Amino acid sequence: MTALLELTDVRASYGARAVLHGVSLSVPERGIVALLGANGAGKTTTLRAVTAGVRWSGDIAFRGRSLRGMSTEDVVRGGIAHVPEGRGICTELTVDENLKLGSHLRRDLAEVRKDYDRVFEYFPLLKERRRLSASTLSGGEQQMLALARALLMRPRLILLDEPSLGLAPMVVRSIFDIIRTLNEADGVAVLLVEQNARIALDLSSTAYVLEVGRIAVRGESAELQGNEAVRRSYLGY
Amino acid sequence: MQEFFQQVVSGVAIGGIFASLALALVLIYNAMGLVNFAQGEMAMLATFVALTLINRGVSYWLALPLTLLIAFAGGVAIQRVVIRPVERAPLLALVIITLGLATLLNGLAGFIFGYVPRSFPSPFSADTVDVVGVFISYRDLGVIAVSGLVLLAIYFLLQRTTLGLTMRAAAHHPEASRLLGVRVSWMLALGWGLASAVGAVSGVMVAPILLLEPNMMQSIIIYAFAAAVLGGIESPLGAVVGGLIVGVTINLAGAYVPGVGGDLQLAVGLAIIIAVLVLRPNGLFGRAAVRRV
Repeated sequence: MTALLELTDVRASYGARAVLHGVSLSVPERGIVALLGANGAGKTTTLRAVTAGVRWSGDIAFRGRSLRGMSTEDVVRGGIAHVPEGRGICTELTVDENLKLGSHLRRDLAEVRKDYDRVFEYFPLLKERRRLSASTLSGGEQQMLALARALLMRPRLILLDEPSLGLAPMVVRSIFDIIRTLNEADGVAVLLVEQNARIALDLSSTAYVLEVGRIAVRGESAELQGNEAVRRSYLGY
Repeated sequence: MQEFFQQVVSGVAIGGIFASLALALVLIYNAMGLVNFAQGEMAMLATFVALTLINRGVSYWLALPLTLLIAFAGGVAIQRVVIRPVERAPLLALVIITLGLATLLNGLAGFIFGYVPRSFPSPFSADTVDVVGVFISYRDLGVIAVSGLVLLAIYFLLQRTTLGLTMRAAAHHPEASRLLGVRVSWMLALGWGLASAVGAVSGVMVAPILLLEPNMMQSIIIYAFAAAVLGGIESPLGAVVGGLIVGVTINLAGAYVPGVGGDLQLAVGLAIIIAVLVLRPNGLFGRAAVRRV
């Protein structure tokens, strides 16, 4: 397995406050990796480091090339979709316009059209609401819109920050089903940050547990699920 | 009655001029939450560029698009050189920078072109045409047509093109837009360029009426502020409607309210600003600022 995304000893800080103290992890091509940990452990910061939302040192490489010094726009254009904390929906715009922002850089128009068909097949609700302002969508619908928009970017890797946050269990399940489908059908790799460890371990093949800015545990997801000591001390269930 | 309608049509023409400058203000306000106090001076300088081109023998209809291009480039340059380095400064600092910029551009125009008012050609004849009993000058019709076309072009660009979509996204949601690959900083520069070009239209349209000199836009910018505030400062459509209302209002007030013609006309503009801010702070098209607590 070749690593698609490789973080090596990444350190990051907000002003004087250091948040990451040397995080190393890797996401294989076509893999789903979960990044777990308590609030404030540095999960979101790890994702933000990848898309240049925070200054970092150490090394981050995507498809074998270092992302050092690259702007957010260039990292994203290189094939990484980042669905941030809070979903990053443009509430001033319509559902349709949000989707267009996902595909606006693509020139393979025939493929884009196919992707729109797929998006509306996965999320029929978005099709009905195309012309409405995105601000009228519920939390779950906004999460679907964010995922749909990420899909339209045709990324090699999707960074997902707490997709389950604030959503009803039913909605969470359908969203995770779609993430699995995207991964299996398109071979999109996923780096998933989650509070809900149980559902994240179900979906992922590998998992890392962050503890105050350091990787405390790394293992196969199935193994971690079965390991009661790890579950108790790090995952809280 | 006939005179009334004539005043209304002239009001619409002058309103189109206000609307262009108000739209320029709204474009920059939307992009960065900043009222650009230098917008009028930028338009004035662009008008001097147009006059220079025309005096060199360039035909009016070639000089106009050339001027808009130069104004666009100038707007982009101002954003890159003056605004971008202080992008993250507090809003008050930015406001003071635009005020400084206004003074600088005003002085620069005085230094290069002098303060003697110059006549500026209008491509439209001063004759009038009889439209069902109302005499309308070709000049008014021309101004209405040119500002109308410019406003339509901006609407089309913002609402119907991908570039416009990314500009709107960058203005309202810079962080989310970056994550979608939008080059936010360049979109801001484009916004400044566009605002500068739209503002230049107002300068070129008003110059034949007022005579061109460095302080030409100082009253126009007040009316443009009134129009933008009336429309709700965030709304391009509001700027246009506000511009028309302000234009018609001051024209009618000038014609029918004793003593308002001339100097007091500006006071009507200021009165509109104050009335809107007191009675309806979000303007006609602005949304109420609702914050979830």
